Amino acid sequence: MILVNILMLVVVLAPVAVVMWMSFTPTATFVLPLTDFSLRWYREALSYPGFIDAFWLSFELATLAAVITVALSFLAAYGLARYRPRGGGALKAFFTAPLLVSAVVFGIAMLQFVNRIGLYNQLSGLVLAHVVLVVPFAIRSLEVTLRAVPEELEWAAMILGRSRLGMLLRVTLPLSARGLVTAFLFCFLLSFSEVTTTIFMTGPSLQTLPVRIYSYMSDRIDPTVAAVSALVVMVSIVLVAVLNLLGGLRRLTTE
Amino acid sequence: MSLELVDVAKTFGTVPAVDGVSLSVASGEFFTLLGPSGCGKTTLLRVIAGIHPATAGRVLLNGRDITHAPMHTRNLAMVFQNYALFPHLSVFDNVAFGLRSRRVGREEIRTRVRDALAMVKLEALAERLPAQLSGGQQQRVAVARALVVRPDLLLFDEPLSNLDARLRDEMRFEIRDLQRRIGITTVLVTHDIEEAFTMSDRMAVMQGGKIMQIGRASEIYRAPASRFVANFVGPINELTLGAIETVDNRRRARAAGELAVWLPDLEGTSRAAPASLILRPEVLRVSAGELGTDNRFPGKIEDVIYLGASSECRVKVGAVRLSAVMPSAAAAQLQPGASVSVGWDAKDGVVVDAG
Amino acid sequence: MLDRRTGAPWLFVAPLVLVMVVGFVWPLVQVLVNSLHPNTPQGIDSAQWTLGNYARLADPFYGEVLLRTLRISVIVTAISGLLAYPVALFVSRRSTRAQSLFLLAYISPWLINTVVKALGWTLLLRTNGMVNTLLRALDVIPAPLKLMLNETGVVIALIPGHFMFVLLPLWVALSGLDPALSWAAGTLGARPSAVFWRVLLPMTLPAFIAGLVINFIMNMTVFAIPMLLGGARNMVASMLAYQVNLVSLDWPLGGALAVALLAFTLALVWIGQRGAGLLLAARSVRP
Repeated sequence: MILVNILMLVVVLAPVAVVMWMSFTPTATFVLPLTDFSLRWYREALSYPGFIDAFWLSFELATLAAVITVALSFLAAYGLARYRPRGGGALKAFFTAPLLVSAVVFGIAMLQFVNRIGLYNQLSGLVLAHVVLVVPFAIRSLEVTLRAVPEELEWAAMILGRSRLGMLLRVTLPLSARGLVTAFLFCFLLSFSEVTTTIFMTGPSLQTLPVRIYSYMSDRIDPTVAAVSALVVMVSIVLVAVLNLLGGLRRLTTE
Repeated sequence: MSLELVDVAKTFGTVPAVDGVSLSVASGEFFTLLGPSGCGKTTLLRVIAGIHPATAGRVLLNGRDITHAPMHTRNLAMVFQNYALFPHLSVFDNVAFGLRSRRVGREEIRTRVRDALAMVKLEALAERLPAQLSGGQQQRVAVARALVVRPDLLLFDEPLSNLDARLRDEMRFEIRDLQRRIGITTVLVTHDIEEAFTMSDRMAVMQGGKIMQIGRASEIYRAPASRFVANFVGPINELTLGAIETVDNRRRARAAGELAVWLPDLEGTSRAAPASLILRPEVLRVSAGELGTDNRFPGKIEDVIYLGASSECRVKVGAVRLSAVMPSAAAAQLQPGASVSVGWDAKDGVVVDAG
Repeated sequence: MLDRRTGAPWLFVAPLVLVMVVGFVWPLVQVLVNSLHPNTPQGIDSAQWTLGNYARLADPFYGEVLLRTLRISVIVTAISGLLAYPVALFVSRRSTRAQSLFLLAYISPWLINTVVKALGWTLLLRTNGMVNTLLRALDVIPAPLKLMLNETGVVIALIPGHFMFVLLPLWVALSGLDPALSWAAGTLGARPSAVFWRVLLPMTLPAFIAGLVINFIMNMTVFAIPMLLGGARNMVASMLAYQVNLVSLDWPLGGALAVALLAFTLALVWIGQRGAGLLLAARSVRP
C-alpha cells in the first residue's frame, strides 16, 4: 500500500514539478542534471504581450464571474436556507446540475448559443458561461456558511428594529464573511483555470491565459511556456493556501 | 402596554402547533407560558414576536392589531434561550443595536447604553466581545439589549435554561426585580415550574397547543383544573372515584375502590364523567394517635424518606399507597412498620376528570 | 424557520434562476433544437426537422472515434479503480493532519490548470523527454520509447488527473466506517484479505461505484489532454466535437454529438446511482 501511494504521489505531482523545473533551466533544451538556475524564461514570458494580455483577460473574467456568482448564489442560498420553500430541493438540484454536464457539451451548447444571440467572442458571453460553471460550488459552500449563522441572530436583529435588508447587511453578511471570501476565491480559481468550455467559445482574438498557453503549446514547447505555466501554478498555490487557511478546502471536498 | 391574543392558531404544514389560544396580559404584568416541551409555548411566543405569522386569530398590543405587522415594526424585545448576541459586535454595540435601528442620536445612544449596562452591572465590560463573557454575563447583556429600546412588551424564551442552578436562582430574582422596577409588560416561556412560580404574576399552563388553565401560582397549584395541570405543577396522590353521592349536603364517594372519602364542596351538580381525587402530599396528615381530619384511615408506614427540611412518609392504607410530606421534625417519631392514622380535610382535595 | 408567506423566497432565488435559465437551460435547448435541423451550405435550415444528424453519427469514422474514447476511458477508470483502494486505505489510517496533506496532494491536479498538466506530461513523455532521458541514462532501454502522441500517453496523463473522483468518495466512506468493524472481524479470526473482501469492500462499494462513474464520465469528455498528448491522429469524442463545431462549422452535427454525449453521461450517472442504491438495499436486507 505504501508503494502504491508513493507511486501515485509521484505520478500526481511529477508533471507540475517538471514544469517548475523546466521554467528555471538556463538553456532552451532539457539537460540532466540541473546545475544552473535562471530566471531568464520568466523575463521572456513577462515581455511576451500575448501572455500579459491573456493574463489580464483571465483576471478580469475570473473576478467578474466570481463576484456575480457569489452575489447571486448568496441570495439564492439565503432564500433556500431560511425560507425552505416548497420545491427548494428541486431548485438546489437545478443549481448544481451543471456538474452533470461535461465541459465539452456545455462548450458546444455555449458556442451555438452565443452565436445565436450575438455574443460570440465577447467577454460577457464568457462571463455567463463561467458563472454557470462555478455556481454549483458556490451554492454548496454558501449553504454551509449560512447554516452556520444561527437564525435567532437574524430574528433578534429584526425584533430590535432592523428591516430584513438592514439585518442582512448588519448581521448575516458580516457573519458570513469568511464563507463569502472562501467561495469567491474558489470560484476565481475555477474560472481562472477553465480551459475546455472557453476554447469552444472564443476565437484567437479573445484568449484567456490557459487558452493562450494551450494554443502556444500546440505550436511549440519551450521554457517560456513553462515559466508562464509555473506562474499560473504559483497563483493557484497561493489561492489554495489561503483557502486552506480559511478552512474552505475540507468543506468543499467532503460535502 | 397590554397584550391580547384572540383565538390565535399556528399550523406548520398540517401540524397545529398553537390551537386557538386566547388570553390577555395586563399592562405591567409578568405573564408566563408554562408547559412541557412541544406544547406550543415557544411557537406562541414567536407568533407574538412576529417570527411566525399567525395562521388564524389576532394579536393586539395595547389595542393595536399587530397580527400581520413586520417584526421590526412591533416595538417589542426578546431575550432568546441562547441569548442570540451578535458575536461580531462588542457588548456596547450589541446593546446599541436596537437604538441604532431606531436612528437615536449618538449622544443619547451613549447615555442610554451606559445606563442599561449599569442596570445589569456590566459597565466595565462594554468593549468585550460576547465570546469573552460568562454565560451569566451574556444573559445580562441580552437583557440590557432588550430593555434599552424601551419596548412595549418584553419576551423571554427559556432565558435561564443555559445557566447553572445557583446562577439561575440569582438571575430569577434579578430579572423579576428589574421587571417590577421598570414596570414593563413581560411574557416568559418556560418548562420550569419553579421559574414560573417565582417570577410570574400569572401564568398559562399549555398542552398540545392549547391553554389548560390560566391563573396565579397558588390557584394553579391548589386548584388545578385538570389532572394534567395537577400532575405537571407538582407531586400528587391520585385516587380514582366511584359514583359521587350526596349525604347531608356533603359529597361522598368511594375512592380507589375501597375508601369512603368526603369530597370538597363542588359548585354545580354531581359529576357524570369518571373523576379522580387529587391530594397534594403536604395536605395529608400522618399520626400515631388520633386525627381530627374529615377523612381518616388506619394505615401502616412503609418508608420514611429524609429530604432535609421536610420528610416524605409513605403509608399503605389497605391496597392504596399514599405519600405524605411533612416537616422533618414531625416525621422524627414515625417508624417504618408502625401502625398510624392517615387523613386529610375534605376541602384540601381536588376533584378533576379522570384520565 | 421562516414562513412561506408572500413571495419573499422567490425574490432571493429569482436572479440566480434567471441567470441559470439564460446561461444553462437555453444553450442546452438551443443545441438540441439545432441538432434536429438539417445543415445546408447556407447554414442551419430551421424550417426542416430531421433526425438525420444522429444517423450521421453512425458513420464508421465517428464510430472509430467513439470506440477509441470508450477504450481510453475504460482503461483509465479500471486502473484508477485498482489503485484507489490501496491508496484510500493507506490514507484513511493516517493521522488527521497527514490525511489532509495526502488529500491535498491528490486533489491538486484538479486545482492545477489542465494545460499546465498537459505541458508537464509532454515534458516528461516526449521522445527526448525526462522519462526517456532518465531510462536511457540508466541503460534500461536501448532506444527512446514512444510514450506520447498515442493512446498510452493519454492514458498515463489522465489517470492522476481524475484519480481524486474515485479516491474522495472512497476515502469519505472508509473514514466513516468504524475501525472497530475490521478489528472485530480480525478478532473473530478473519484474515486481512477476508476482512477486505467480507467487510470493507461491501461497505464501501456504493461510494466506489459512484466514484468510478464520475471518473469515467470525466475521461469520456476531457479535451486538452488528449489533444496535446494524443495528437490529432488519435481523435477522441471531445476533439471530434471541436472539429465539427469549430472547423467544419457543422452545428447540427456538432449539436447531435453534444446531445448524444450528454445523454450517454446522464444514463451512466443514472445507472451508477441505481446500482449503488440496489447495493445498499441488498446490504440492508442481508442479516
